Amino acid sequence: MSSEAATPASPRLVVGIDLGTTNSLAAIRAGKGARVLRDADGEPLIPSVVCFHPDGRTLVGREAKAERLTHPDRTVFSIKRLIGRSVHELGDEPKRLPYPIVAGERDLPRVRVGERQWSPEEISALILQRVKQTAEQALGQPVQHAVVTVPAWFDDAQRQATKDAAALAGLDCLRILNEPTAAALAYGIDGSKDGTALVYDLGGGTFDVSILRIDDGVFRVLSTSGDTHLGGDDFDELLGQRILAALPRVAGKAGALEDPYVLQAVRKAAESLKIKLSSAERADLQLDLGARGAVTLTVTRAEFEAAIAPLVQRTLDCVQRAVKDAGLRLEQIDDVVLVGGSTRVPMVRARLRGMLGKEPHTGVDPDLAVALGASIQADVLAGNDRSLLPLDVIPLSLGIETLGGAVQKLILRNSTIPTSVTEEFSTGVDNQTAVDLNVFQGERELAKDCRRLGHFKLRGIPPLPAGLPRIAVTFLVDADGVLRVTAREQRTGAEASIQIVPSFGLTRDEVRRMMLDSIENAQADYVAREAIDVRNKAEAMVRGTQKALALAELPPDQTYAVQKAVKALGKLLAANADAAALKQGCDDLTKVTATIADDVISAAVAKALREEQQGS
Amino acid sequence: MIHVPAPDPFAVFGLQRSIDLDERTLEQRYLKLSRECHPDLHRQKETGDCIAVLQRAAEINDAWKILRDPWQRARALLELLSPGALERNKKLDPMFLADALELAEEVAFASVENVPQLRTRLSGAVASDMQTLRAQLARGDVDAAARTLHASHYHRKALQDLDAKS
Repeated sequence: MSSEAATPASPRLVVGIDLGTTNSLAAIRAGKGARVLRDADGEPLIPSVVCFHPDGRTLVGREAKAERLTHPDRTVFSIKRLIGRSVHELGDEPKRLPYPIVAGERDLPRVRVGERQWSPEEISALILQRVKQTAEQALGQPVQHAVVTVPAWFDDAQRQATKDAAALAGLDCLRILNEPTAAALAYGIDGSKDGTALVYDLGGGTFDVSILRIDDGVFRVLSTSGDTHLGGDDFDELLGQRILAALPRVAGKAGALEDPYVLQAVRKAAESLKIKLSSAERADLQLDLGARGAVTLTVTRAEFEAAIAPLVQRTLDCVQRAVKDAGLRLEQIDDVVLVGGSTRVPMVRARLRGMLGKEPHTGVDPDLAVALGASIQADVLAGNDRSLLPLDVIPLSLGIETLGGAVQKLILRNSTIPTSVTEEFSTGVDNQTAVDLNVFQGERELAKDCRRLGHFKLRGIPPLPAGLPRIAVTFLVDADGVLRVTAREQRTGAEASIQIVPSFGLTRDEVRRMMLDSIENAQADYVAREAIDVRNKAEAMVRGTQKALALAELPPDQTYAVQKAVKALGKLLAANADAAALKQGCDDLTKVTATIADDVISAAVAKALREEQQGS
Repeated sequence: MIHVPAPDPFAVFGLQRSIDLDERTLEQRYLKLSRECHPDLHRQKETGDCIAVLQRAAEINDAWKILRDPWQRARALLELLSPGALERNKKLDPMFLADALELAEEVAFASVENVPQLRTRLSGAVASDMQTLRAQLARGDVDAAARTLHASHYHRKALQDLDAKS
């Protein structure tokens, strides 16, 4: 929820980022297609994991994931399940996570690591920062603008929290894009194939389904449905329960459930069982937890499928609902697109095929499709491509509380965004100068059954007899699916001021404060990175010069001068000198070699040539 | 709380006020307007996501929502032709209301084998309502049209409930 209007200029370089529950990655439009941005090892997927190592380092991605077993209580994953929600709403979710979650201000979840408490936005920002760095290294230029994807089912609070995370990571998020819409863009890159597509997106932690109508480059979402708490992690959880049940009572079951090490080891084992069962009919597990016991277990695919059947059925119910909401029948779906790693489970594909009578498309890697699609939208926003236009919908109805605790719906779910509605309010008592509004999102009739997004206070109403002031309040849902509220007193024309207290996520003040913190940290990060860069450069210079010296035949006095400078730099390296001293050492060496560079090169070349001739 | 009506959807689409709109033409017009006004295609003008651009895009989306559904279109048209006509004609014939109540009960207790037959009947009633409404609008009889619109609500609701059952 925001009351600010952003007016960013048109940037040229915009990346698409899939900020996933399990993995995150970036992609960029390239020619007619799109490509994912890989790290130095050629790996596109960055695990959405952050580890606050006891030695003070903050690890992100693969390095962090590697610490899952050694520091389970300091390694944060699946943060997307917590973002934009309250501790109360999370229920027993925190109990299943090996890292400690505490209730912070306004009952918002905080990850506690030592003395410090981290908001889900800050953890997500650390992941986004890594994605940004990887993209910058792959592209060789700074990245400042991005399109970030969220599950279509994310509500206002979760979207705003994701935008805040991007801002904290130093990214200007030009658009929040729904993941199924992004996937559809990835499949119909040139938008030339008209028709109706169903996108089934089953990721690690969330499930989304969207029905899209593709019409001459316009990707119009007709309906969307889903479950923010259903994904492959739940399949793992079911397998994990089997493993825990088979664990001998050495430490006692209750003990095992409390032990972060056991939880994490079981989680890992369950995941590998699931992956094996996608291709094999049965999978064996031998898990040795040392003093904590050992398990030998065989799971057949039939057993696994029986366990997950109710979950798969829940996704199919969502599909039914989405098709119905789109005003269509199942047979009117032309194409079925699969996204998310969990669609690799054979049962998911089989059930979907059975329901829709069509073979789902699997041409684009389900792990990469969302980022690729986001990069296409990014290119549109960069102003490079005007042929495509995604038109998305709001996933949940928005309303305000009326007398008696009922919710009056103002904007219905599946309305195409941007969308707006204006309502007029008045006062209940004489000389009242402020009106309170509670905004809710959800489908239920009573306020207590919907999510309260926040509290609006309209101020500056002229003191008049009750019922006379007329305050027109406009609720506008922008293209990110985020609510913006403006108000005007009709008689005086005065813009009423609105104070927003969000129920979830960060207040604007908190975001500003964290931004300042992150700028300070960014300065520290920059200094640290520069030190590493200078060190690498110095090491390379020492090695390179020594090689050249060995090759070149220099007069003794020149050889001596160069050797002296190399030795001096080597000493600085050995003494762990700071960046400034190393820089000076490099400069000194460069000065010495510059005067004789030509000689060294020609001499080295001459020597190389001679060796060549002798060899032949 | 009083609802402030959205701008005239016919004007937003640059169309003459009429109940008879060709669906395909309407859709083409919607796609064209969206391309012209959607904030995503106008980042270069540095207007970005400013409220005015969003508001215009919202108007187009909201007008499309009204125009594409013949019943919502009729309602908007009536309000434009004769503001207050719908409010004036809220009171329906008690005989009709008794029938409507009976119909609702029939839907609530319909057995599976009765559903298709009931659906055919209700669809017929809704189609006939629309025909009547068009004729009344063509004659300029806004009060009769308003009553038809109110009455038809019961038929459409019954059909909806029937669909929800199966």
